[in-house]
Amino acid sequence: MTTSSNGRRTILRGAGLAAIAASTPALMRQALAADPIKIGIPCALTGSLAAVAEQTKRTATMWAKQVNAAGGINGRPIELIIEDTGGNPATCVRKVQQMVERDGCRIFTGITFSSETLAVMPRLGEWDAIYVACGNGDASMTAEAFVPNFFRGNPSGPTEARLLSLYIKDSGLKKFYAIGMDYSWGHSTVAAFEEEMKRNNIEFVGKVFAPTGTRDFSSYITKIRQSGADGLMMVQSGDDANAFMTQAAQYRLSDKVKMFTTLIELSTIKAVGEASKGVIGTMRYMSTYDYPENKKFVEQFTKEIKDTPDWNDGEQWKALQFIGAAIKKANSIKSADLVAALNDMELDTVKGPAKFRACDHQSLEEGFVVQVDKVDGALLPVLVKKYPWDQITPACRKKNFDS
Amino acid sequence: METFSFILIQTLNALSQASLLFFLGSGLALIFGIMRVVNFSHGALYMLGAYIGFTTARLTGSVWLAMLIAPLVVGFIGLIFEIGFLRHLYKRDEDAFLLVTFGLTLVIAEVTRLLWGAPPLQVPLPAGLDGVVFIFDEPMPVYRIFLIAAGGIASTVIWIFLERTRLGLLIRATSQNSQMVHALGTDINLIRSGVFAMGCALAAVGGILAAPSVTASLGMSSAVIDAFVIVIIGGMGSFLGAIFGSLIVAGVQTFGNFFFPDFALVFLYALMLAVLIVRPGGLLGKEA
Repeated sequence: MTTSSNGRRTILRGAGLAAIAASTPALMRQALAADPIKIGIPCALTGSLAAVAEQTKRTATMWAKQVNAAGGINGRPIELIIEDTGGNPATCVRKVQQMVERDGCRIFTGITFSSETLAVMPRLGEWDAIYVACGNGDASMTAEAFVPNFFRGNPSGPTEARLLSLYIKDSGLKKFYAIGMDYSWGHSTVAAFEEEMKRNNIEFVGKVFAPTGTRDFSSYITKIRQSGADGLMMVQSGDDANAFMTQAAQYRLSDKVKMFTTLIELSTIKAVGEASKGVIGTMRYMSTYDYPENKKFVEQFTKEIKDTPDWNDGEQWKALQFIGAAIKKANSIKSADLVAALNDMELDTVKGPAKFRACDHQSLEEGFVVQVDKVDGALLPVLVKKYPWDQITPACRKKNFDS
Repeated sequence: METFSFILIQTLNALSQASLLFFLGSGLALIFGIMRVVNFSHGALYMLGAYIGFTTARLTGSVWLAMLIAPLVVGFIGLIFEIGFLRHLYKRDEDAFLLVTFGLTLVIAEVTRLLWGAPPLQVPLPAGLDGVVFIFDEPMPVYRIFLIAAGGIASTVIWIFLERTRLGLLIRATSQNSQMVHALGTDINLIRSGVFAMGCALAAVGGILAAPSVTASLGMSSAVIDAFVIVIIGGMGSFLGAIFGSLIVAGVQTFGNFFFPDFALVFLYALMLAVLIVRPGGLLGKEA
């Protein structure tokens, strides 16, 4: 078989396009009524966290439908603008800019990757827009990268690391290794966990970061086995978490190390089945949480979507609850008015009472440690311990904990 | 772990990964080599193989059957696509293939999302392959050894088919001078259709073989990037190049991730760049 130089150019062009493919747009807009309140959702509907972004999409759609059926907010209907970013920060910035300039949208939520949010944050002021995160754990967002128009409605990576380390402190494990996704959330969470382990006099024997979208984890597993650790912290999500946990089970890794994760996802439990059994982790939102506001949400969700809400469904719902309440309170959609309304706002949410701390716009809420176990024959996250927010949230504008 | 056992384990890891990459890359290489079509939809077809395999396994209870049905169905889809679309574009510029196969990628992605939903799906290990063997006290999944054997056997069989059979000769001849082959009385449309279907089926085999280790997910289609890297390194359009490319990529990924995890990706793309500069046609490509 031979090729021509034209052919080579074509295949290289194909390779270039392939690289761009991850950020290929799949435009989805939902045009609703006139004079609407526009909410932009630039999320990674394609790529390794597509399942997480899909949760954002379905929950936001359900929320908008429900709000519009009740007459909108302050008499104005909600219009969602949902677009695919492919998980690419540059694409995400471009999409947000388009939504600002083309659609006049000034309220945003639901960005999937922390790296995308970090790229968007510095431009929020210039765009006169606000962003309420529901699934961005990078520590710096409420520290050195903080901007006044940003709010984080979900626990940060260090919060999750602290939560687990409080639990691990009494576990009797002596040596820990960590594997994280190779982007801002993975790095900041592993750093916080490493600090916590040292504070608790537990030896931290090593860490490794796998690129997002890694499919073969065999060499990482060999590395973990060789490390001599008796505990493993995973900072992974989506396809990466699924692939790692599946392969870890195939290599019998849990015979060697006790496995912990900063993020337990229902989608992962369903996708990897028995491989997730026994894993202990934090769960940002639990559909089984016994709380009136949550029960109401789960009932509506199950009826409308015909599925059990996963962590990002709950977090996205909570973020939208805050956005809706802020618009109502401010009777405005101007960013300055919304920021003022959200500062120190307290709401009864699906996760219990939550409050946006004015000094760094971090949501203060309880943290859950869960273990995947069989309940009536089905694998489910079972609550093993709850911690109050003041034990697990870094001080204002701090990435980690002083003590 | 002793040095020898470590090298052995990592080599087996690399070979099993190379096997999956081979199924992915060889289909792309074959299609390009014979038809000059850059099949941009290769990653999507790989993903589709995993999803069709999932459904087959769910319906029949047999992952073995899924490994047979998935490539047949995806190969058939490839056949229909070649007859319905590609066949009308052979006289057009090569960019037309990029656009039309890119379109197919989008269609497959959206249809998959509609039919199977966004959450990833579990594909179990085939019956009898869910155990481990211990090599110097280190566990090695039996499935990984099966993958190595599957890749080795498939690459040998396809190579013999291309190099030692009359049909293989016609396929190679078509890649070199399709007009001459046509003038000698061979239906080159049939050959092109068959090769495209075969390339698509190989991608599907890769998808269903990978699924028990990575789950069936929409993100699988990004594997097309690996396929392009393999083809560029190994040799554009060269089947043997696809084999070498898979081995090199898997070796760099496996050993690189172990020793230099921060630079493994950089190594891979640096290697690709070096190959492009030194041998623009790839290591085993004919273009110097």
